[in-house]
Amino acid sequence: MTAALVRRRALTHTRWNANHNRSIGQLPLRRSQSTFNHFVASTKLQPVSPPPQLRPDAKPFRLAVKDNITTEGFPTQCASGILGQHASPFEATIVRQLRARGASIVGKTNMDEFGMGSHSTHSVHGPVRNPLAATDEDVSAGGSSGGSAVAVAVGDADVALGTDTGGSVRLPAAYTGIVGYKPSYGMLSRFGVVPYANSLDTVGLLARDVEPIRSLVFDTGLYEEHDPNDPTSLRLATRQRCSKACSPNLPDLSQLTIGIPVEYNIAELDPSIREAWVATASVLESQGARIVPVSLPSTKEALCAYYILAPAEASSNLAKYDGVRYGIRGSEGDAVGETLYSETRGAGFGAEVKRRILLGTYSLSSEAMDNYFIQAQRIRRLIQRDFDRVFKLDNPLYEPRQFDLSEMSSDTALEDKQGPVQVDFLLSPTAPTYPPKLSEIQKRSSVDVYMNDVLTVPASLAGLPAVSVPVKVDRSHQFPVGIQLIAQYWDDRRLLALADKVMKLMMD
Amino acid sequence: MSRRSLGELSSYLLEGRLSQRGCINGRRLSSRTVPIWPFLRPPYALRHLHAQPEAAAAAAATNTTTTTATLTAPQAGHVPLRKQLKEQAKQAKKQGKKKAKGDSQTADGWELTVGIEIHAQLNTSRKLFSPAATSFNDDPNSHVALFDVAMPGSQPLFQKETLIPAIRAALALNCEIQPVSRFDRKHYFWWDQPSGYQITQFYEPFAKKGHITLLARDGIAAEDGESVTVGIKQVQLEQDTAKTLAQAGSVHWLDFNRVGVPLIEIITEPEIHHPRTAAVFVRKIQLLLNTVDSCVSGMETGGLRADVNVSVRRTDDPSKKLGTRTEIKNLSTIKAVEDAIIAERDRQIQQLEAGGVIAGETRGWTVGSKETRRLRGKEGEVDYRYMPDPDLAPLVIGSDLVQHLQTSLAVLPDTELDKLVDYYGLTAKDALSLITLDNGARVQYFYRVLALLESKLQAEPDISELPEVKSYATLAGNWILHELGRLTTYKAGPLASGDLSFTQLGECAQVPEEDLSQLLYHLHRKHITGKVAKELLMAVSLGELEGGILEAIESNDLWFKEIPQQEYEALAEAAAEGEDKMLEEFADEDKYPRGKLMYLVGKMMRLGPTERIDPATAEKTMKVWIERYHGRGEAAQLFDLK
Repeated sequence: MTAALVRRRALTHTRWNANHNRSIGQLPLRRSQSTFNHFVASTKLQPVSPPPQLRPDAKPFRLAVKDNITTEGFPTQCASGILGQHASPFEATIVRQLRARGASIVGKTNMDEFGMGSHSTHSVHGPVRNPLAATDEDVSAGGSSGGSAVAVAVGDADVALGTDTGGSVRLPAAYTGIVGYKPSYGMLSRFGVVPYANSLDTVGLLARDVEPIRSLVFDTGLYEEHDPNDPTSLRLATRQRCSKACSPNLPDLSQLTIGIPVEYNIAELDPSIREAWVATASVLESQGARIVPVSLPSTKEALCAYYILAPAEASSNLAKYDGVRYGIRGSEGDAVGETLYSETRGAGFGAEVKRRILLGTYSLSSEAMDNYFIQAQRIRRLIQRDFDRVFKLDNPLYEPRQFDLSEMSSDTALEDKQGPVQVDFLLSPTAPTYPPKLSEIQKRSSVDVYMNDVLTVPASLAGLPAVSVPVKVDRSHQFPVGIQLIAQYWDDRRLLALADKVMKLMMD
Repeated sequence: MSRRSLGELSSYLLEGRLSQRGCINGRRLSSRTVPIWPFLRPPYALRHLHAQPEAAAAAAATNTTTTTATLTAPQAGHVPLRKQLKEQAKQAKKQGKKKAKGDSQTADGWELTVGIEIHAQLNTSRKLFSPAATSFNDDPNSHVALFDVAMPGSQPLFQKETLIPAIRAALALNCEIQPVSRFDRKHYFWWDQPSGYQITQFYEPFAKKGHITLLARDGIAAEDGESVTVGIKQVQLEQDTAKTLAQAGSVHWLDFNRVGVPLIEIITEPEIHHPRTAAVFVRKIQLLLNTVDSCVSGMETGGLRADVNVSVRRTDDPSKKLGTRTEIKNLSTIKAVEDAIIAERDRQIQQLEAGGVIAGETRGWTVGSKETRRLRGKEGEVDYRYMPDPDLAPLVIGSDLVQHLQTSLAVLPDTELDKLVDYYGLTAKDALSLITLDNGARVQYFYRVLALLESKLQAEPDISELPEVKSYATLAGNWILHELGRLTTYKAGPLASGDLSFTQLGECAQVPEEDLSQLLYHLHRKHITGKVAKELLMAVSLGELEGGILEAIESNDLWFKEIPQQEYEALAEAAAEGEDKMLEEFADEDKYPRGKLMYLVGKMMRLGPTERIDPATAEKTMKVWIERYHGRGEAAQLFDLK
C-alpha cells in the first residue's frame, strides 16, 4: 500500500469495524460521502430469517457485498433508482455460505447500475473513486464491482463479493492493486445475484492476497457445494467429474507451459503495461516455466459478441422492473395513452442501463436477431473452441474434441506432428491501460469505454476461470498493473495457486 | 333486438357523451370479481387498458341513465327511433329465420381455412418453474414463490412432474415427443406478467407432428363427410399469467396464484374448412385432454381457451394460395368458436367482394355478438423478441418415460365410444353423451351399475346362461342417461331434487349404483313394470326409500303379476272387435301399418287389468292374431310365444 494511501486513510477514515455491529437504524451517512464513495448508505433492516449456523471451521472475517447481491439486513438496490430501498425478502446463497464461514457483513458496496459499466461511475450514488490516486485527482476504481474493490483496498473489508460478467471483478482489482477472481461459470451459486446477463454472470471474490480467496473456495469446500436454487449451479456429480479431470496440485514451474495469447497484444495496450506483461513472463521463464506464444484467433470478435449478448440478456432481465411489485413507481398512471410503464422505467433507470436495454432490444428484434444475436452466439462458440484448442486439459464439460489443423491459421507454429503446443495457463494483462481519470471517461464515447473490457470478455464468454493479480514493475508509476491468468474450465485451484506464485514473485 | 351502432345511440342518448368503445366491454370490466383475463390478454389488450376508464365510465353512465333516457325519450319526440329499432328487430328476425345455422357452414364460391391454437391448463400440483402449489379458488396470492413475482435474484426451477400431463396430452394428440426441447422468453409488458416475459417453447417445442381424427358422430359439418383429420403442428409448454380482478373505477387487483401455472399450447395446421368442424375440434381436444387427465378444467372455468386463424380464398382460384389471415383471440366457449369463425369468414368475403383487401390483424369476439372487432393491426404488432432462456437447461425427455406414459395412457374417447356402440349396443349419440357428461364420471357410473346388474343376473337361478349383453346394457344406458336426466327436470316443488353429482370414480350419492342395478335387474327380468321402476327411481333420488328397493317392492306389493297367455289372446280378440276396417289395412304384408298396430295394442292394455300386462307380449300377441286373421298362419309360427 502506498504511503499516500495510508496517510489519507488515516485522515479520512475511522475503522468501519467500529460501527458495523450497530443496532437497527440509519447507518452513518459518512459511508456514502466518504472519500471514495465505495459503500452505499442505507437503512439497516431487520433480518427476516435467523443467521446461518456457523461451521466448526468458521474464522471471523469482514465481508463487503456488492449491492446487486441480496443480503439480510440491508437493502439491495443495484445502484439503481428503480429499486429504491428494495428490501429483498431472501438472502443470496453465496452470502449465507460465507456467513456460515465466519463472515460479518460490513456493508453493501457501490457499483455500476446493475453491473453495467467498467468504471463504477454509472451509479445513482455517484462514482466510486480510486484510493490509489493522488488526493487531488478523481480516478476510476474500475467497474462494475468498484466499491467492493475499494472496500478491500482501503482495508474496510478482508474479502469482498463482486460479480463478473465481462471483467467486472478483474478490472477493478487491477485498477486498485488487489486480487480479483472470477470462478468457472456454475461453480458459485448465483441465487440472489440480481442478473445482468445470466449466461455470463459469475460471483467473484476480491481480496488483497490470493490466499484468503483460495482458502475460502477450496479449504472450506465452497467449490463442492451445489445450490438447488440455482439452475445453472453445477450438479454434484458434474462437480466431482470435473474435479477428477483437473489435478488439485500445481506442479513446479518447470513443469508448466504458459501461453501468451498474441491477439491480446493490441495496439491500444499502454507500453508500460506491455512491459509489465513481458517482465512477468520473463520472471516465470527464469523460474523454469515454458513460455510460448499461442493464437486465439476469434479474440478480435469477442468484444463485439459480448456487447451484443450481454445487453440482449440485460434487456430481457430488466423487463421485470415495472414498479408493480417492488421498487419505485411514478405518480402517473399507465393508462393514459402512454406505453405501459414508460414513466417508471424512464425515471428509474440510468443512462447507461437505458442504452444497453435499447441495444439489447434491438439485437433481439425479429429484423436484427439473425444478424446480431445469432451471429454473436456463433462467435461465442468459436471463442470457447479457441480456448479448448490451446489448453492441455480437455474441457470437462464436453466430449474431447479433435481439432483439424486446416481450421487453424497458417502461421500457427507447430510443436510437432501432433500440432501446435498446448498450455496450462494463459497470461495477459487485465486491462489495456492504467485507470483513467473520471473526467477523461466523461469525454469518451460509450464504445471507447467498452474497449476497456477487450482483454477480460473472452474468458467470460467461454465461462473459464480467470484471476487478476497486481504486479509492480515500474516502481515510479502510481498504479500497479493487473496481470490476468486464465485456465481451463474447473482448473480454478491450480489457477489460484499460480496466481499466488506470480504475485509473490512480482511484488517482492 | 338487434344492436344499434353505438354512434347512432350516443348521438341520441346523453347528448352524444356515450362512449364509442362499447358498453358491453365496459360492464364486464367494471363488474366485481369477474376474472377478465381472457379479455385482457396482451398485446391487443392495450386498447382495453386505454379505453378502460372511459368504458367503465360509460358503463356507469348507461346504468344510471337508462331510466332517464326512457323517460325523456317520448317527450323529446324521438318516436321514429323506437319505431326504427322495432323495424330493424323485425328485419333481423326475418333474416335469422331465413338462414339457419346449418346453412352457414359453407359460402358459395369461397373456401374457408381455419387454424386453431388452444391453451390448456395442465393438471399438476406445482407451477412450471417454481415449487409453489397450483390452486383454483384459494385465497388470492397465497401460492406465490419468489420467482413467480420475478423477485430480483430469484431463478426458475423446472418442476419435472409437469411433464407427465404434458406428455400424456401430446401422446393423446398422436404427437412425436422431441428428445430435446428448449425454453424461450417471449417479451411483452403487461401487469399480469411479472417478469416482462413469458417462458414458452418457441424455437424447439417438446412435441410436434401430431393429428386427431374427427368423426361424423363427433358432430362435424356434414360437408366434411364421415371423418376429417386435423394435423397438430406442435405442442409447447408455457407459463400462465396472473389473474386480474377488476374493481370499481380504474382499479385492478392482481392474484399471482395463477402466474407460472403450466399451460400447453396446441397449434394445428391450417386444415379445417368448416366452422362447425372447428368447434367440434375444440370440444374433442377438451374431451381428449380430460380423458388422459392432462387438463381437468374446461372452457367454462377458464382452464382452456382457443385462438383461431381465419382466411378465405375463392374456390376457382388456381394459385391455391391461402388468403391473408386474421386471428381471433381468446374464444372462451365452443359456440363462440363456431360463431366467430362464421362472422369473420362472412366479413372477409364481404370485404373481398367489395373489392377490398384483408389486413393481417388481430380481432376479438364478444359472446353474443354478430361481428368480430378489430383489436390491433400489423403496425400495432408487438415484437416478442424471442430469446432462449439462459437460466434454463434444455429439456431432455427420455424414451423410457414416453414409453411408460404411452402404455399407461387412458383409453381414448374414440376407442371407448366404439366399445359402447359395438359391444354394449348403445347408439352413437347416447354413447357420446355418456362419455362427455359430468366430465367422464357418468360413463364410470354406467360401468359400475352394469357390473352389479351383471352379477345379479348371473346369480339368478332360473336362467341357465346370461342374456345377451346388449339387452341389459342398452337398458342400463337408457336409464342412466334419460331416466336419470328426467329426475332433475323438477326445479321446484315436492319432486324437486338437486342436480345429480358424480365423483370422478363414478359414484352417485343421490342414486346409489346398488339401488339402480337392483331396480334394473327386476325390470329386465320383468319382475316389475317400467312405470313402477320409474316411481321407485324417483323415490330413491328423493331419499324416500328406507329399506331399499326390494323391501319397497315387497311391502307395497309392486311385483308385476302378468296375466296368462290365454288372457292376452282373449284381450287381442276383444280389442280387434269392431275394428274390421282397420284390420283390412294389414292385408298387404309389405306395408305393415305400425301405428295402427300400436293403436290396437293400446286398446288391449286399456281393456285388461291395470299393471298386469307386458306391452311387448301384448304386441306380439296382437301381431299373431292379425296374421291369423289374414290367414298367414305360417308367418304366425315365426313368433315364438313360449
